[in-house]
Amino acid sequence: MKSNAVRMMSVAGSLLAASVTVALSTASAQPAPLQEGGGALKDRRIGYVMTHKYWAVYETEGAKTECPQGFNDGPREQFKKLFDDGKKRSIVEAQLKREGEQWHPTTAPESFVFKEAQGNTSYGLNLDGKIGPEDFLSPEGEKGIDNQLYRVIGCIGHYRTMGTINHFENLFMRSYDDTRIVIELTEVDSLKNDDAVVVTTYRGSDGLLQDATGEGFIPGGTQRIDMRWGKEYVSKLNGKIVDGVLITEPADRVMLPWGVTFGTSGYHVFRGFELKLKLDPEAAEGLMAGFVDVKAFNHHLNTSWSTHHHSYGQLSSPSQYKAMMRLADGYPDPKTGKNTAISSAVRVKFTQVYVQQPEQKELVSKQ
Amino acid sequence: MKSCIRAFSTVALTSLLLAGCAGKDEPENPGTPPRVRVITTQQYLNTVANVFGSSVSMDMKFPPLRRTDGLLANGAALAGVTAGKIETFQRAASSIAAQVVAPERRNYLIPCTPADEKKSDAECAKQFFSQTGRLLHRRKLTDEELSKYVTAANTAADKLNDFYAGVELTLEAMLISPEVLFIVETSDEKPDKHGGRPLDAYSLASRLSFFLWDAGPDDMVLTAAEKGELDSERGLKKVVDAMLASPRLEDGMRAFFDDMLGFDDFDALSKDPTVYPFFTGATAADAREQTMRTIVDHLIHKQEDYRELYTTRETFMSPALAPLYQIPASRGWTEYTFPEDSPRQGLLTQVSFVALRSHPGRSSPTLRGRALRERILCQVVPPPPPNVDFGKLENPDAHYKTQRERVAVHLEDPACAGCHKITDPMGLALESFDGAGRFRTQENGATIDTTGELDGVQFTDVVGLGKALHDNPALPSCLVDRLYSYGSGGAAKPSDRPLLKYYTAEFEKAGYKLPEVLRTITLSEAFRTVTEAKKVNASEAREPTEEIVIEEQLPTTTTVDTAAPANETQTVAMTSSHDKN
Repeated sequence: MKSNAVRMMSVAGSLLAASVTVALSTASAQPAPLQEGGGALKDRRIGYVMTHKYWAVYETEGAKTECPQGFNDGPREQFKKLFDDGKKRSIVEAQLKREGEQWHPTTAPESFVFKEAQGNTSYGLNLDGKIGPEDFLSPEGEKGIDNQLYRVIGCIGHYRTMGTINHFENLFMRSYDDTRIVIELTEVDSLKNDDAVVVTTYRGSDGLLQDATGEGFIPGGTQRIDMRWGKEYVSKLNGKIVDGVLITEPADRVMLPWGVTFGTSGYHVFRGFELKLKLDPEAAEGLMAGFVDVKAFNHHLNTSWSTHHHSYGQLSSPSQYKAMMRLADGYPDPKTGKNTAISSAVRVKFTQVYVQQPEQKELVSKQ
Repeated sequence: MKSCIRAFSTVALTSLLLAGCAGKDEPENPGTPPRVRVITTQQYLNTVANVFGSSVSMDMKFPPLRRTDGLLANGAALAGVTAGKIETFQRAASSIAAQVVAPERRNYLIPCTPADEKKSDAECAKQFFSQTGRLLHRRKLTDEELSKYVTAANTAADKLNDFYAGVELTLEAMLISPEVLFIVETSDEKPDKHGGRPLDAYSLASRLSFFLWDAGPDDMVLTAAEKGELDSERGLKKVVDAMLASPRLEDGMRAFFDDMLGFDDFDALSKDPTVYPFFTGATAADAREQTMRTIVDHLIHKQEDYRELYTTRETFMSPALAPLYQIPASRGWTEYTFPEDSPRQGLLTQVSFVALRSHPGRSSPTLRGRALRERILCQVVPPPPPNVDFGKLENPDAHYKTQRERVAVHLEDPACAGCHKITDPMGLALESFDGAGRFRTQENGATIDTTGELDGVQFTDVVGLGKALHDNPALPSCLVDRLYSYGSGGAAKPSDRPLLKYYTAEFEKAGYKLPEVLRTITLSEAFRTVTEAKKVNASEAREPTEEIVIEEQLPTTTTVDTAAPANETQTVAMTSSHDKN
């Protein structure tokens, strides 16, 4: 009886084992769940393309805090003050003289009062790692913010929210594929926290995908890297992701396409370049900052925008240059000791894209 | 008597020659009623492009046709032309004529140069209108017609002191003439014992050409018709083979599948931008194009099994579409194969189908199931009863997380359940895609259940649905039904069932390859045969109205003597709109 019971238990056990085996084998025969795409972060990489860029200007209502004295004059207003005295002058003595000053600016004092942005709050990053007397406090309360360019442009209508440069620089950046700025993050384990990632900046070559609202951009597009402009536009930065925020170490020199009107091929070079971007799988938003060479900045301004464009936003190029040189705070000239570059920050937005590298063509000599 | 014998001999010989052309198992069939169809926008554009070249730009759209028995093409046989429509035709004609005689084109589009540009030139005008008129009328012009056009061109040229202005005005008139805008089918012969008569060669040429190329016949086909080659088995086969090998077959099949799948609905497709901001006008246009490219590549270039269109992972991708599929894309259209574990397997899983058959802000198992039944399986789903209560479905406070829960409400009401049982079970498998066609596994936090059933075949997901559809016998027979209806200009009749069964059997034997079924249909006797038409007496003629209505009625058929005054006889093409198998 006992042996029968044992035998029955054994049989039952075998059946159970068999049924478990069947169940397991059935489970293993189930097809893998269907899936698509696999997400924006693929092979530890994620790319983003720039969709918005604004020279960072901290604005309060009615500009009462930062521009209590009002905004600066532009070419028209200055021209009137200089030459509206009834005296008869030749074109060389009037218009061309002023145009000449634009192209050959000096730091010599002028009769106009330049209105610098006031207050100690500004967007930007602590580029030198120090907290100095001229530094700002970020709106979030971070000390040591370096953005002397804000002092210069904060009270020039052109650079403010409704300013012409803000509008057209973004319009043309979106319209012309030659001005595409792409970043790719590699060696990414997590978009939340990762103590070591690599960020590479590139020129892209494809259009942006505007969404159905007409105001946003569709993530998931593709940007093919454009190497036709040379390796100058490719820069590598080391960084980390902390609580979903990408923070990079300063890179000595980063060159970014900054073409504006009708496909011009302008660019800006940032020294001590850094990024601080809040990341998610579909977008990135935050600041890029660095020192811009004052002469180069001025050259870009004059070759990208004509005097009549400057006039729309009361931007006097000679006056702005003098102010930039006066407030320049980095990269002193080895000979004169005078600073040649000014700290700056740009508020930026990116949309996620797949980055497509150009085909690697092997040199014939290597074959 | 002699002429009667000659006529009889001709009929007998023609019948004998062509009898061998059709398959030996083809059942007897009296053919279709002779039809009068209004030319569609695309047919007009394709024809004009074939005659004058692609440099003549034409941004025009004729008024839409009424979808009848599953096809817009069938609506073309219910021709109605209002004064407003004539104005549209006239605008198009005016633009085309002006471009043809424009200085940069006249040297190569007009085959001669007038002796004096400021005067009429009858010989040059005759040369141009005889060549162009033949292609636009789809037959050789009679001497009387040609003389009329040349006289009109000369008169205008002399009055305007400009030869080219005369050609322009007369060409405009030709482009809107009823002979050009309406495709009229005629037969010269007497009916056989089944009441069937072979289409005359020009009518057959047009039927073949509009079916296979979505355009009027070219010089090759017209020459074959004029030489009597379409009357012989060898000649007809040679012409059909040449047409099937022509790149224009792509135009023809694009038009057919666009019609069959109801893609004209894309013209009115809109998505709520706040719900689906990523679904733009470019997305919709490319979704439609993606499916067309998939079809053309699979069925024409690769000549693969039609049924595999519903399981294939091969397609084409564009930059505007790739974000929806969450993949990178190269510039322009490129070939793309979805991975094995992808939910994108077959036409049903492409954005075109799932986005088009959805509401602006949400997916719809019912719309998708209905489209599958009606467009792909040729089954009819009755419309909802007029007193249906949508309250439970549209209640914004409804606690339903998934569409499966929402549509389950249908089954609670017997008035709804009958129809929803035939649409929802397969539509629910497509719930893997939201209303814009994006893949998802969850809805409002709940896991989506994609199990379903199609005609007794159970499946767990959309890949299973594709396989069930692949094996469904209604799939190939529906294509055959639609092809025959599309090619002959009207819905098949119940008496056509043996014929359709024959076509389907031949389709199966040929491995469900599209060019083969097209060859079977176009070489069949039924395709080139029409029934006798009935003459309408003057006393039965309608009072004039703004719209010229040509109704379809069965079983009577009528033919019009187009040369006779309109108040005496009227061309009527007929088949009952409710007469659907």
